[in-house]
Amino acid sequence: MDLVRIDAVHKHFGSNHVLKGIDLRIGAGEVVAIIGRSGSGKSTLLRSINGLESIDDGQIEVDGEKLTAGQTDLRALRQKVGMVFQQFNLFPHLKVGENVMLAPQVVKKMSRADCEPIAKAMLAKVGLAEKFDAYPDQLSGGQQQRVAIARALAMQPKVMLCDEITSALDPELVNEVLAVVKQLAVEGMTLIMVTHEMRFARDVGNKLVFMYQGKVHESGDPKELFANPQTPELQSFIGAIN
Amino acid sequence: MAYHFDFIAVWEYREQLATGALHTLGLIAVGATLGVSLGTLGAVSRAWKIKPFDKIFTVYVEAIRNTPFLVQLFFIFFGLPALGVKLDEWTAAIIAMVVNLGAYSTEIIRAGIQAIPRGQIEAASSLAMTRAQIFRHIVLRPALQKVWPALTSQVVIVMLGSSVCSQISATELTYAANFIQSRNFRAFETYITVALMYLVLAFCVRWLLNKFGSHFVNGRKTT
Ligand SMILES: Nc1ncnc2c1ncn2[C@@H]1O[C@H](COP(=O)(O)OP(=O)(O)OP(=O)(O)O)[C@@H](O)[C@H]1O
Ligand SMILES: [Mg+2]
Repeated sequence: MDLVRIDAVHKHFGSNHVLKGIDLRIGAGEVVAIIGRSGSGKSTLLRSINGLESIDDGQIEVDGEKLTAGQTDLRALRQKVGMVFQQFNLFPHLKVGENVMLAPQVVKKMSRADCEPIAKAMLAKVGLAEKFDAYPDQLSGGQQQRVAIARALAMQPKVMLCDEITSALDPELVNEVLAVVKQLAVEGMTLIMVTHEMRFARDVGNKLVFMYQGKVHESGDPKELFANPQTPELQSFIGAIN
Repeated sequence: MAYHFDFIAVWEYREQLATGALHTLGLIAVGATLGVSLGTLGAVSRAWKIKPFDKIFTVYVEAIRNTPFLVQLFFIFFGLPALGVKLDEWTAAIIAMVVNLGAYSTEIIRAGIQAIPRGQIEAASSLAMTRAQIFRHIVLRPALQKVWPALTSQVVIVMLGSSVCSQISATELTYAANFIQSRNFRAFETYITVALMYLVLAFCVRWLLNKFGSHFVNGRKTT
């Protein structure tokens, strides 16, 4: 049974045809790494999955919640899809704990008393239990990104989308965030991540998607694809990175 | 021939002055509360292009910002009765102040809303929050925080501008001044006294709004 089904999805920005018929099936617990050149449509695809970008054609389905062209009410879908961004996007006027509790309180109408243990558990999971009362700007980039992960987890999503979540970090902070993601993968969370961390994609991922000019150009087992890329485009992409 | 200052002649009317000052404060208290609320609605309508309110507020803001306050006030008090809308002087004064401050604060608050990074709104959307929830929990407080000093200045400007409400016989502070100097013929003493009273009121309003701002708008102690 597929958790995420993406069927013939098209997306234009004006005259720019950015997604040209994407088909993708992702099962529960899969860890999918999306790679590809800048401008190939990786972020657009990811953002389409929770409706941050509207699609022009095709259908996306996550755990039974369908999303089609022109659809506007996305709240049911978004409750099942968590997202972590390159720029963390924590709410600066709220404490760390409040950042994590806000959506459960406001969206799920849970009481603060019910949210607090969940928030504390999620912060503990990302190794930041003691930062509950800190403000985001008192944290390092790596810590902020881990709070962002905890914030998404607090909604108990079925899938987590991660768009280059380590790209804005100083190199020495990358690993603490990747360690958290790896832990999620081990615990069985379904992850779809756009990443430039090829080693991470190969070691943690169990599916690799190579996007090229708005299409899924090649996909499969990461270890096999890295060792044995079938298309010249993927060959040169991997070659350019190594 | 030297002029003999006679402030006793003003002091004799202290009750009128006190009442006038209180009325001016009352006007700005109500006017600022409703005006900034109206401005908040206008700001979000314009910033987020909420149809059809965005267009309505655009016209409203341009109309108000490009006409004199006195004319707006006269229109409401003397003009509207032609349409069967008869208002007493206080209602007219408050409406004029709300409408005026509403337009200016629409523009001020809109700048605050637009300064909120897009990524925060996207993050909130991705957490399944509705637009109204995002506005209330993510946008409103930081937006007001960013523009609070400008908003405070505008409130003070409108309070000082409320002196023209004396023209429709609202017994605020300037009305009291006009009344007193028509009795004691001491224009210098009367108007300098009232000017000082406005100065004190302006400082008080500023101080109050700063306090209010750091408590309720910032919500976070700035270190
Ligand atoms: N909001 C937008 N408006 C117009 N064009 C856009 C918008 N977002 C993306 N694009 C265009 O869509 C194409 C795909 O962009 P996208 O961000 O999905 O690429 P990407 O694969 O994520 O690249 P990168 O590795 O640089 O993040 C690009 O040509 C980009 O210019
Ligand atoms: Mg991208």
